[in-house]
Amino acid sequence: MDVSAQLETQSSKYKPITVEKPISLEFDLGLLAGYDTNTLDDQKLKSKNIDEYLKEYTRDGAQLLINELFKLPVSVEDAGVFAQLPDVTTVLPREKPIPKAKPLTRWEKFAKVKGIQKRKKDKLIYDDEKGEWVPRWGYKGSNDDGANDWLIPVSNNDDPYEDLFAKRREGKKQRIEKNNSRHQRNLEEAATQQNKNTTTNPRIVATPNQRSVRKAELNKQVAISKLATASIGKFDKPLEGEPKMKGVKRKFEPTIADFKKEKESNLSILKRVVGQGSKSDGGILNAIANTKNNK
Amino acid sequence: MRPLTRDETEVFFQKLAKYIGRNIAHLIDRADETYCFRLHKDRVYYVSESLMRRATSVGRDQLMSVGVCFGKFTKSGKFKLHITALDYLAQYAKFKLWIKPNGEMQFLYGNHVAKAHIGRISEDVPEHQGIVMFSMADVPLGFGVTARSTVDIRKLQSTDIVAFHQADVGEYLREQDTLF
Repeated sequence: MDVSAQLETQSSKYKPITVEKPISLEFDLGLLAGYDTNTLDDQKLKSKNIDEYLKEYTRDGAQLLINELFKLPVSVEDAGVFAQLPDVTTVLPREKPIPKAKPLTRWEKFAKVKGIQKRKKDKLIYDDEKGEWVPRWGYKGSNDDGANDWLIPVSNNDDPYEDLFAKRREGKKQRIEKNNSRHQRNLEEAATQQNKNTTTNPRIVATPNQRSVRKAELNKQVAISKLATASIGKFDKPLEGEPKMKGVKRKFEPTIADFKKEKESNLSILKRVVGQGSKSDGGILNAIANTKNNK
Repeated sequence: MRPLTRDETEVFFQKLAKYIGRNIAHLIDRADETYCFRLHKDRVYYVSESLMRRATSVGRDQLMSVGVCFGKFTKSGKFKLHITALDYLAQYAKFKLWIKPNGEMQFLYGNHVAKAHIGRISEDVPEHQGIVMFSMADVPLGFGVTARSTVDIRKLQSTDIVAFHQADVGEYLREQDTLF
């Protein structure tokens, strides 16, 4: 049987998979991309059937890319045949500039001078007393300074009448405070450092960092000044449009408390309300007050 | 459930004083038992101490109502008296208005009180004063605000409004789902 005629018709229906190009293409298969450095035909670009030409050209490029894909190692899985793409070789430019180096803290500067390297520490450490692994710090951590101790032995050097628990708590509080103040100092130094780098004129200093620091400081002082009245700010009339103070919780009287006191405070409020409410009642109240005074 | 704050008490008493004036003292200072005002879900309840103590064992979400509801605080912080407070308002009312039998139904359906329907009215009632309405048989029907003073009422025509309706006992039927 002669199938050559059939083959002929089949092959004439489809184009060959081989494409000839003067300069071979460069491929970056990780991105499924091919780079064609050949020049386009000027005459065909200006002719009428430019669309036809471009279509042809694109088809050739795609054919070459697909040829390349079929050369890749292949794995067969349930969902089908997969080619394994190599790593991306094209270097893409980054969108944002490289971040500037952060100003060093005092400790980092010192460590740099002394050549102290940061070592990676395990998050869990073994606690001999408990016989188990505990976090180095934080909740149930090993550095809680015995905050959960039920007993502290008094050594010979300690004052026996001192509250050692309170002393520990105080000590921890002070250490935290100290750390916070150091942190604040580092921030301030970093801000001034940044100013020096950005502006030459020391009088124009308003980087966002320092501005926000100053704003926070001002807000803090305003909050303090609000409480600096005889009634600790309780009876001051709030200004219109004044923002609510943050971190101030509403406090209510307990539901069951001293009923006598509640009654008295209610009566005092009533006296004020009725006194200012209607003139006739106010007059009566005043009259009562006068008679009492006369007696 | 919690006691009212200073500001809330002030707003509440100012509203209540429009109807019963200094008689509020009789509500606070009672001979029989200690009573107090408690706020629960924006509503003010007038509760005896013993009942309040028992109510504290009910969860906030579960507690529907306790004692007598006097009214509620609106979202803008004003106080609205409910008809449920009528018992106490009627008892201690400073100014009263008696409605003729033919005007009763008109009022109970939420209409203002016209001059023609007045049976009697207290002497020397000023304008825009809280007033409690009674039927001629001395049954409290509701409360409202006077539109004119007693002196001015004499000059009015019989169809003119004498007192504005605020609440009436018909609300026990009309607004039973939101009242207590």
